[in-house]
Amino acid sequence: MAKSETVGEHLRRHGISRRAFLKFCAVTASAMALPPGAGKAIAETLAKQQRPNVIWLSFQECTGCTESLTRSYAPTIEKLIFDVISLDYHETLMAASGEAAEAAREAIIKDYPGKYVVMIDGSVPVEGGYATIGGKSMLDICKHTVANAAAVVCVGTCSSFGGIPYANPNPTGAKSISMLMDEGLVPRKPLINVSGCPPIPVVITGVVVHYLSYGVPELDHVGRPKAFFGQTIHDRCYRRPFYDQGKFAKTFDDEGARNGWCLFELGCKGPTTYNSCATTKWNDGTSFPIESGHGCLGCSEPNFWDKGSFYAPLATSESGGVYGLGAAAAAGVAVGVGAAIVSRNHQKKLQEGK
Amino acid sequence: MNAWKDIGIEVGVGDKGERAANAWALLHEIEGMLDELLNNDKESSIDLRGIPMSAADRTVLERVLGEGELTARITALGLSQVRETAIHGVWWVTHYNTEDTVVAEFLEVSSCPDMLRSHADDIRDTLENLRTQLAQHQE
Repeated sequence: MAKSETVGEHLRRHGISRRAFLKFCAVTASAMALPPGAGKAIAETLAKQQRPNVIWLSFQECTGCTESLTRSYAPTIEKLIFDVISLDYHETLMAASGEAAEAAREAIIKDYPGKYVVMIDGSVPVEGGYATIGGKSMLDICKHTVANAAAVVCVGTCSSFGGIPYANPNPTGAKSISMLMDEGLVPRKPLINVSGCPPIPVVITGVVVHYLSYGVPELDHVGRPKAFFGQTIHDRCYRRPFYDQGKFAKTFDDEGARNGWCLFELGCKGPTTYNSCATTKWNDGTSFPIESGHGCLGCSEPNFWDKGSFYAPLATSESGGVYGLGAAAAAGVAVGVGAAIVSRNHQKKLQEGK
Repeated sequence: MNAWKDIGIEVGVGDKGERAANAWALLHEIEGMLDELLNNDKESSIDLRGIPMSAADRTVLERVLGEGELTARITALGLSQVRETAIHGVWWVTHYNTEDTVVAEFLEVSSCPDMLRSHADDIRDTLENLRTQLAQHQE
């Protein structure tokens, strides 16, 4: 590992031209809705910086978050993030194993105190004995690694909010990183939650680039970057006009479904889910779940697994009803207007930083 | 992944009453940017992916800006196309990924977009390469 190498030097050594780097920064800035011209500023800032050391910790997780990033649809652009950072520890990706791997993590903690970034996927079990790595509990590893970190980026809903391991009955006592910090079980550090099950690849990349260029981005009330989580799926959904007109599919194969009407009554959680799927999309920009005919599951929201059936409309789900509209859900237009008001109010609060 | 394109899915939004209001607003903004470029040497750009544009908006924008004299294709992390429009100083920059999907699109108001310029670091590195070859030739 070249200790004094800048990002620019590293890229050139690997045959990546300044033009290619400018393109990477322009694409990332565009995805984050940063002002035009920010790509050039990011490129100039990043090129002069030393590559930050990154320790990626995987706790109770399925590796879907790593798969999302490494199998992203624009591999050569989004994978460039691995040249911008120095990924020194990642159990799935690193060649080393056993004591050699753990020694690499310890070396970064010792050699770069207060300078390295910890990226975490998975929640942490606090009940004894559920998960250990190298004879140490996940909680101890988390506490030890985060103690000297500059910042923590939670990748995925499990580390951000607890996710599926945290779901009822939560047999392992799983907790998110923010819960552990709130309870004093892990030292408090600047924390960015990039939720989603899994998160969108460009969101992971964008957040890392923003942190390295400008520091911690503006966050919403649950610690997510507003650039990607400032609007609901519903706000940007192409089926929104049907919602406002009160045109809802009642089953997955009725005339409304075939006409592409709103999936609200089939359980779509788009109105209460903050994420960029409707604009960024998945699979080579092909579509997002609603475009493929299935409602949003709300996977980037806290406790999404315990909010009742994925197929129950929001107003009648176990969450108690988001809008309190109950039977009025069937009234279509009334639902549309009510949800729009609630959604806009939430949006306004986010913009006002409340 | 190109196989996705072969799946016969047609997506219809429904609203066919498209207007081109955004295109004309953008063109007025470009007019001001060109003034700034001429008078204060200030470069600027517009991120087209960040602006909601209907098909009509795009048609108007492409028609008014037109085709210029110069188009450059750059191969860096996939293709990028830098095309000067008929309005000199306004460049249409389109970035594709390695699977030829558009990943970013800008209108740049500049005498020469950054993507076309050679960067000093790259010049330095490749000059070294040239000198190495020259040295080998002399041996």
